[in-house]
Amino acid sequence: MASRYDRAITVFSPDGHLFQVEYAQEAVKKGSTAVAIRGTNIVVLGVEKKSVAKLQDERTVRKICALDDHVCMAFAGLTADARVIINRAQVACQSHKLTVEDSVTVEYITRFIATLKQKYTQSNGRRPFGISALIVGFDDDGIPRLYQTDPSGTYHAWKANAIGRSAKTVREFLEKNYTEHAISDDNEAIKLAIRALLEAVQSGVKNIELAIIRRNQPLKMFSAKEIELQVIEIEKEKEEAEKKKSKKTV
Amino acid sequence: MNSGVWEEVGCAKLWNEWCRTSDSVHGLSPTEAYCVFYRLKSNPAVFLCQCSCYVAEDQQYQWLEKVFGSCPKKNVQVTVLTCRHTTDYKSSEPAGSLPSPFLKALKTQNFKDPVCCSLLEQPNFVHDLPAAVLSYCQVWQLPAILYLCYTDVMKLDLLTVEAFKPVLSSRSLKGLAKNIPQSTETLKKLTAANEVQSNIYT
Repeated sequence: MASRYDRAITVFSPDGHLFQVEYAQEAVKKGSTAVAIRGTNIVVLGVEKKSVAKLQDERTVRKICALDDHVCMAFAGLTADARVIINRAQVACQSHKLTVEDSVTVEYITRFIATLKQKYTQSNGRRPFGISALIVGFDDDGIPRLYQTDPSGTYHAWKANAIGRSAKTVREFLEKNYTEHAISDDNEAIKLAIRALLEAVQSGVKNIELAIIRRNQPLKMFSAKEIELQVIEIEKEKEEAEKKKSKKTV
Repeated sequence: MNSGVWEEVGCAKLWNEWCRTSDSVHGLSPTEAYCVFYRLKSNPAVFLCQCSCYVAEDQQYQWLEKVFGSCPKKNVQVTVLTCRHTTDYKSSEPAGSLPSPFLKALKTQNFKDPVCCSLLEQPNFVHDLPAAVLSYCQVWQLPAILYLCYTDVMKLDLLTVEAFKPVLSSRSLKGLAKNIPQSTETLKKLTAANEVQSNIYT
């Protein structure tokens, strides 16, 4: 029954589904996990890097991209679709700056990306973009923002979210552990992002990439060493928490 | 299987339109065979069959007769492990809300041990050789259980393998499972070999 409505996405199925859009969301699940957290004074993006082939240049396999000095995004899904969207978004950011002499707000560029995605769900002969994106940044008013877009072209603001392969597991972890205390301190927000990723990342610390933006500061990508230091702290805290627990039960 | 714990005791080679290679010139050799049978060295009563080919419907009966025909029908317990893509799973819940990968079980009437996951609900059903094995066991009143892992990847990966971990705590397999601390590392190495170096998805 479904196959009759899969071919042209401009056609609704009798029960109101756009199957191509739903199938595009399956393509997103094939990408590795990305997590984003909106802190009080910081926004954090963490991704699981895919293992790179031996002869491949690692620098060209990027999941976190800057759209402008104050906005960056992480995606999950089809690599080529992401490249097209990122290119258009970067051009839109500069075009906006040149036209109105102001940097884009995070919501503006998210809306731009979401509108672009939606157009491709309503055009004949085109398929939807197979990516979901987490867009983070600070607006001129100093307020941190986090938005998520999906292949259907919808976008929503989130306090913390995850997309990609184990998004459900990571989101459940975030729901349990996202507290005002956790996000009030920059370091705690970073650790929360790493802990959330470790729930899903099977290959360990070496395959995590982290980026942060602090208020009025440019995007900072963490080096492998810095991530390792954070993980060591997390492991220490975990051990101490377990020791306290065992003392209580004794 | 190369760890030295299992010894190869037999193989079954078959050909159908889905087989990628057909070699009628060379004789039967274990490395080319598609269904390989192993026996646990430490416990010769435990057999394992690794079936990596598609057994067509008209070949299933002969396969079962050859494998189960000569073995005693008493004190035999069969466990089948198989995988399917999550899109095959039909349920009233939206596809996005299913925790992937997840395990479902189907058992014969004579299987009395506790099951370590929920049973496969209607209208879902099991396909191909695993279904044939279970049906055979039901007909011959052998206790058998099938664990079906619904996963969203087409190749073997660590998450899918780990979804089967609860099966190791079942009564029949508990004695075989070793609690090795480096089991996760070993699993990572095994699945890393299968990792698709495709750049389509990031």
